[in-house]
Amino acid sequence: MKLLKKSFVLLGLTVVPLLLSGTRIQAEEIKKAKTIAELVAMYDSSSCHECHPEAHEQWQKSLHARSIFGPENTGRTAATFKTTIENGLKEWPYSGVKKNEDIGVRHLRLCSKCHLPQLEEAEDSVAQEIVKNVYAFVDEGDEKAKKTLQSLNIDCLICHGRNAIVHKWTDGTPQKDAVYGTTDGKHDDPDRPLIKQSKIMKESILCGQCHGMGPNFELENPTQCATLYAGHLLTYIPEGGGETCQNCHMEKSGLGHNMQSYRSKEMTNMALDVEVEAKAYQWRDGTIMTPAATVIVDIKNKAGHPIPDG
Amino acid sequence: MVLDVTAKTTDGKEFYRNQVIYMPTPQQMGRGDKMGRGPYEKSGMIHDSSLPPLRTTQEKFEIPVYVESTKDGKTVRTIIANDFVVDVEISYLPYGKKEDPGNNQKWVSISKKLSIEKGGK
Repeated sequence: MKLLKKSFVLLGLTVVPLLLSGTRIQAEEIKKAKTIAELVAMYDSSSCHECHPEAHEQWQKSLHARSIFGPENTGRTAATFKTTIENGLKEWPYSGVKKNEDIGVRHLRLCSKCHLPQLEEAEDSVAQEIVKNVYAFVDEGDEKAKKTLQSLNIDCLICHGRNAIVHKWTDGTPQKDAVYGTTDGKHDDPDRPLIKQSKIMKESILCGQCHGMGPNFELENPTQCATLYAGHLLTYIPEGGGETCQNCHMEKSGLGHNMQSYRSKEMTNMALDVEVEAKAYQWRDGTIMTPAATVIVDIKNKAGHPIPDG
Repeated sequence: MVLDVTAKTTDGKEFYRNQVIYMPTPQQMGRGDKMGRGPYEKSGMIHDSSLPPLRTTQEKFEIPVYVESTKDGKTVRTIIANDFVVDVEISYLPYGKKEDPGNNQKWVSISKKLSIEKGGK
């Protein structure tokens, strides 16, 4: 009996630290942001800007820099968050949302899956704060709310960190002490001293994580904001197309990290070839002359996806 | 994506307008025949007239350059203008109305001057 008791004690001494250690590791892994400020701090890329000012300046002009606010002059994305809440979440009988206070991360996921993927690392209190700021900006034009919403974005640490690996069983999980690029090496940043190669940094699939495949079936209520990657795979590739998203939107356009689409001259000049043939003539039916013109418009889509597409 | 074709006299009077819209039409909640509006209710496709990649889409427009009337029981076609301009515009209109500020993005604008001969019979 004594031996049995001793065994339990020994077992306890071994297991308890393991459990505690496991709990600590788990706690570290699931440590989530409680406020917008905390979430912004978790993905703070200000140290990147010091050494990569050109990429930063380019990125600031892109919609990635205002991913839940939208275009600077309209805030259209923030307005669509509100529409989603009013016309979607509050109207659907089984969403669990009757009032704004009911909204959590799982509800905003309809939008945040792409517009703010790091919201997965935040608690419901952050979702609540986002909702309050969306309504303050859309309903009252609140400047402070606008700034708060604009602090949430797709910055360096999303594409070069969190989303740099898609196949985690094959390539592992993104390391917190590394930034991901096209090669391995050392990185002059004490918080992230490593550069690791992301095998998809120049592949369309990196962008396809958000510029997507159609309905997001992993969501409780699938949405279909983006179908671009599906369009690329299923319509462009079968036609013999060989460009990646990055080839056109970053390199050939010369825009770099200022990735643009339909509002950019650089992109629209590359997108279409348009030929117009026009001819005037007179057709005759007996004594009745019919003056007319024929206009033929040929539009060739040279992009790597249907136009328009999202 | 919107293709607009207009014809105007040289003093700016429009006498012809036609429009073709290119866009995928999402299906509301992946069921039925209704188009979904907001992204939160799009989950399928009921129609797609978007411009496919690496292909050429051709549109043909026949523009009547006359007004028709009846005189002494006979049909008469009177020419609107011997000289006129055809404007072809392709714009990206992601939402709202074309005239709303900031919405419409004009991509292509091509004008063709056309003439119909005077005289003869």
